Amino acid sequence: MAVRVPALTTVASERRSEALAGYGFVAIPLLLFLTLNIGAMGYAVYISFWRWGLRGATEFRGLANYERLLSDEIFLIAVRNTLTYTLVWVPLTMALGLLLAVIVNQKIRGQTFFRAAFYFPAIASSVAITVLWIFLVSPEGAFNDIRAALGLNGLFEAFGFPPNHSWVSHSRTAMASVIVLNAWTTSGTVMLFYLASLQAISHEVYEAAAIDGANAWNTFWRITFPLLRPGHFFVATVLLIGGMQIFDQAYVAGGTSGDPNNALTTIVLYLYRSATKDFSFGYASAVGIVLFALIFLGTLLQRRIFGNAPSW
Amino acid sequence: MTTQAPATPLRPDTSVEVAPVGDRGARIRRYLAYFFLGAYALLMFVPFLYSVATSFKTQPDSLRVSFIPDPFTLRGWETAWTQLDPALPVMFFNSAIIAAAVTLTNVVLGSMAGYAFARLRFPGREPLFLLVLATLMIPDQLRLVPVYQLISGVGLINRNPTNYLSVVLVLAISATSIFLLRQYFLTIPRDLEEAAKIDGAGFFTTFWRVMLPLASPAIAAVAILQFQGTWNGFFWPLLFLQHRPHYTLPLALSQFRFEYTSDWPALMAVVVMTTLPILVLYLFFQRYFVEGVAAAGVKG
Repeated sequence: MAVRVPALTTVASERRSEALAGYGFVAIPLLLFLTLNIGAMGYAVYISFWRWGLRGATEFRGLANYERLLSDEIFLIAVRNTLTYTLVWVPLTMALGLLLAVIVNQKIRGQTFFRAAFYFPAIASSVAITVLWIFLVSPEGAFNDIRAALGLNGLFEAFGFPPNHSWVSHSRTAMASVIVLNAWTTSGTVMLFYLASLQAISHEVYEAAAIDGANAWNTFWRITFPLLRPGHFFVATVLLIGGMQIFDQAYVAGGTSGDPNNALTTIVLYLYRSATKDFSFGYASAVGIVLFALIFLGTLLQRRIFGNAPSW
Repeated sequence: MTTQAPATPLRPDTSVEVAPVGDRGARIRRYLAYFFLGAYALLMFVPFLYSVATSFKTQPDSLRVSFIPDPFTLRGWETAWTQLDPALPVMFFNSAIIAAAVTLTNVVLGSMAGYAFARLRFPGREPLFLLVLATLMIPDQLRLVPVYQLISGVGLINRNPTNYLSVVLVLAISATSIFLLRQYFLTIPRDLEEAAKIDGAGFFTTFWRVMLPLASPAIAAVAILQFQGTWNGFFWPLLFLQHRPHYTLPLALSQFRFEYTSDWPALMAVVVMTTLPILVLYLFFQRYFVEGVAAAGVKG
């Protein structure tokens, strides 16, 4: 007895000091997360019900900010632009990334080099790449020169693009050029995701297909593509979330006003503009909540397209 | 006939993914693959080489498609170094100090929290960890207004060096850092900690002297991921760094693009300075970048 009692208290006090150490170790991150993430999100919801300007809340508006969004022409343009961007960019980038992954996954020399090369644009600064892109597709830029040298100007002119077409500052092509830019920079990342899923497919399936005499085309469409479903789901979800938040490239190419003529006004750009130019904090918060809801809906929709989420 | 039978098992799966050697279709396909990969790789590198070449060109020459500046000039770099506001060394310093600070806080706070979530037992540990992961689902833009009000409320949007703290505070710790480090600590055997405990080491000493050195691969991955992310970061600097001398490279570049519309050599000099440090890191620590992808996902 005399031995056990002090032993128990030692265990208890050791437990307590371990718990205290644990709380101490996580205290600062948790404090930051609770204020800057969780708290901020709750506060954003709260602000969205108010007319809220530089001097704080002035009038409780209930759902009026949200109602105003539905009839706000610019916001609807922003939604349309963002959806267009996402609906074109996501499949395009997935196709490019998958193509790269399938080819790189073959037994070829220099696999490591190609993998590294294709991923490189993804780690560079989005602003730097966008400025470089603007330079390349500017009226006197390399792209227009190269298509002239290749004798393609007639073809482009047939579609209404003059030899010195300004791809980024023309409302017809501004968004398209951002889509191409981002498909280029993100394809390497998607390739890495797909490579991981490709390597998870067992060799036996391919052996069986080879025995059955399936050619490469059939093997890809009948076996590889369907078996990559968890990969498709993951890539599509990650790209959708990223695509709906498109901002950097739109801002660098078109500034706060989404020039030309709101062609580059995306939802996040509009949120940024409402908050920093109009100082309509309540309204801007409502834009953010709607974006969050759209992203959430989009991921639910994807879950239905690709079936249940993979086990991981 | 008889020689074929034992030969087959010696080369079992070259024939599985790629058709048998000598098959002409397969060879053509392979050449096509090399051609495609080579062309796509060029598409990745050529624009960057082109920005380097352009930074050494004169303004009129910058509109000519060529990789060899004619004449070769340092004027673009000179403009970037002295004329731009802020000048290149200033933006470089701003970017470096902010990225270094964010990297440091993520490594320190992330490894402590990661260790606690992996090893220390305290009530509420699992729900708190889920709370940390939940923050990954909140888009940055959604918290723009509240975070801006908070940061400006504590007086960090100003014209003195404490302005840097605004960005550092918001990026000080990311759930990704905690997650990566926690996963790594989970893989370290418990024996070492128990040995340290028997030697009378406290929790902090055990963490600092025993566990932290063992976690260095994970720490390196987190450090590189955070340095690269912060160096390239645009959204929060755009929001908080309103005093021109505090601009980071991407932030300054986003403004110069409208102010120096035809001075491509100077703009490309800034592009090169923004990209080069990350390229160098990438060349040396490629493995960590690739490992970080899965954890960090894609930012829009």
